[in-house]
Amino acid sequence: MALLEIENLSVNYGGIQALQALSLSIAQGEVVTLIGANGAGKSTTLRAISRIVNARQGRILFEGKDISRLSPHEVVRLGVAHSPEGRRVLTRQSVYDNLMLGAYIRNDTANIKADIDLQFKRFPRLQERRNQLAGTLSGGEQQMLAIARALMSRPRLLLLDEPSLGLAPLIVREIFSIIRELHAEGVTILLVEQNASLALQNADRGYVLEAGILTITGKSSELLDDDRVRQAYLG
Amino acid sequence: MKLTDQSSQQYRRLWWFASRGLAAVAAVLLIAAVIGAPSGLQNLFNGLAIGGVYAIFALGYTLIFSILRIINFAHGAIFTLGAYFTYFLTGAAVGFNGLLANQKLPFGLPFPLAMIGGGILAGLCGIFIERVAFRPLRNKGADPLLTLVSSLGVAVAIVNIIQLLVGAEIYSYPRNPFGEMPAALNLGNFGGLTARPIIIRTIQVIIFGVSMVTVVLLTYFINGTKTGKALRAVAEDATTSSLLGINTNRLILITFFLSGLVGGIAGTLVGLSVNVSGPYFGINFGLKGLAVIVLGGLGDIPGAVVGGLVIGVAESFVPSEYVAYKEAIAFAVLFVVLLLRPQGLLGRVVVQKV
Repeated sequence: MALLEIENLSVNYGGIQALQALSLSIAQGEVVTLIGANGAGKSTTLRAISRIVNARQGRILFEGKDISRLSPHEVVRLGVAHSPEGRRVLTRQSVYDNLMLGAYIRNDTANIKADIDLQFKRFPRLQERRNQLAGTLSGGEQQMLAIARALMSRPRLLLLDEPSLGLAPLIVREIFSIIRELHAEGVTILLVEQNASLALQNADRGYVLEAGILTITGKSSELLDDDRVRQAYLG
Repeated sequence: MKLTDQSSQQYRRLWWFASRGLAAVAAVLLIAAVIGAPSGLQNLFNGLAIGGVYAIFALGYTLIFSILRIINFAHGAIFTLGAYFTYFLTGAAVGFNGLLANQKLPFGLPFPLAMIGGGILAGLCGIFIERVAFRPLRNKGADPLLTLVSSLGVAVAIVNIIQLLVGAEIYSYPRNPFGEMPAALNLGNFGGLTARPIIIRTIQVIIFGVSMVTVVLLTYFINGTKTGKALRAVAEDATTSSLLGINTNRLILITFFLSGLVGGIAGTLVGLSVNVSGPYFGINFGLKGLAVIVLGGLGDIPGAVVGGLVIGVAESFVPSEYVAYKEAIAFAVLFVVLLLRPQGLLGRVVVQKV
C-alpha cells in the first residue's frame, strides 16, 4: 500500500482552477518530486495535503486513511510535516524555540531534546545560533531551520516546498546534500522544486505539472532524458 | 555596504542625542514635580494603583489583538461581569430589583478566592463570546472588522442581561475583604522630603500588588510555557502554526479565557477601590483601556503595562477641583504621545515586507 495516495484531487481559488483531477502516489521511503512552472499547482498540492487549502473534490489517503476533511493540526499528528514555501520560520522566537515548536505534538521530553541535538549535528550552523531570534538568520539558515523544524515532529512523510528558492548555489548544494541524507535514512519526501534538474537528480520519481494538470510522470532518470521535459524545464 | 549621505547621518545622530536629552530632562522635571508637589508622592502611589488595574485590563485587549488583530469590544462588559461574579461568590445577596432579587448563593467564599473565581467565570464568558461573536464569522471568512460589530452587540446584550437579572443598583464589596487590616499606611514624610506625611490606603497597595502579580504570571505563561510559546507562534503566523500541529482554534479559546480572566480581575479590583456602580460599570473603563493599549503600542505586553501606569499616574495628578476633567487628561496624554510617537511608547515601527 502506498504511504500517500491522491485520487482525482481538484482545488479552486475563487473561480480559478489551481489543480485539476490530480492523482499521484508515494511509496514508503521514496523521494518524489513535483516539478513545473510558476503557478502550475505544485505548492497547492502540498497545501491541499496539509489541509491549509480546501479540496473541491478528490480524496487524499495517508496510510489508507482519508485526510481530506481533517484540520491541518490533525494531519500533522498523523505524521505529515510540511516545510512551507518561503520558509516561514517564527521570526520572533529563538532557533531553539522554533525547534521545540516543531515538536509541539510530542510529549516525550527526553527524546525531543535528543532530536534537537540530532538536528544540531545535521545543521551545525543552527547550533551556533540556537539562542538567536530566527528572524536574524540568513535565508539559507532559515531554510535549514524550516527543514529541521519539520523533522522535529518525526514525520512519516515530509513535504518540502521550494527549499532552494532564493538561495546561493553553495547553500542550495548544502540543502540538497541534506535531502540525500534524509533519503538514505529512509524518510519519505515529496519535494516541490522549480529547479527541475536538481530535483530530478535527487529524486526517485517525478511528476510534471502544467497549469494544474499532471502531464508527464516517470522515473527521474527517464524524465531527465525526456525531450519534452528537457525542452521545457531543463533548458 | 551602502554609502550613506554624510549630512543625513550627522543629522540623525544629532536628533538621537537631542531626543534622548529632552526625554531625560522631562523625566527629571517630572520626578522633581512629583516630589515637590503638595501631595506628589501620594498621587504617584494612587496613580500606580489605578494604573496597575488599567494595565491588566488593557492586557486583555492586547492578548486578543495580538492573535486576531482585532479589538474585542465586549471586554468592558467582561470587566463588569467579573466584578459581579466576585460579589456574588462572596455570598452577598442581590438587591431589590431584577429577576433574581434577594437571591444569594448557598455558600460564600473568602474574598481572595471569590476574586479568582470571578476571574475564572469571566474567562469562561470570554470563551463564550469567542464562540458566538468571533468564530462563526471567522469560519465564514468574513472581514475581521465585522467582529467589531458582533462583539459590540454581545457587550450590549451582556449589560442588559445584567440589568434584567440583578437590577441597576450599586453593589459594594464587604468591608475588610482581606481580614482585619489598618485602613491606611502612614509612610511618614521621608525625612522632610515631602511637605505632608504620605498616607496610602491599604487597599491601593493590595490592588497594585495583585495587578503586578497578574502581569508577572501572565508574562511567565506566555514566554515560559509550551502553550505560551504556541500562542506567540499563532500571533505571528497562524497558518504556519497549524502546520506545526498547533490547534489554532483551541489557542484562540485559551486567549479569550486569559483575556476574560484579567478583565474580570480588573473589574473586581476597581470594585474594591470604589464599588460596582451598576451594569454600565465597565463602559468608561473599556474606552480607557483602548487609550492604554494605543498609548503603549498595540499588541505588546510591556506596552500595555507602561501605558496603563502612565495614564493612571497622569490622571491622579489632576487636582481634585478639576476631577471632572480626568478623562480629558488621559486622552490628552494619549494625543500628545501619539503626535510624537505614532507607534505608541514601546511600539515598534512595523516594516511591511513585500
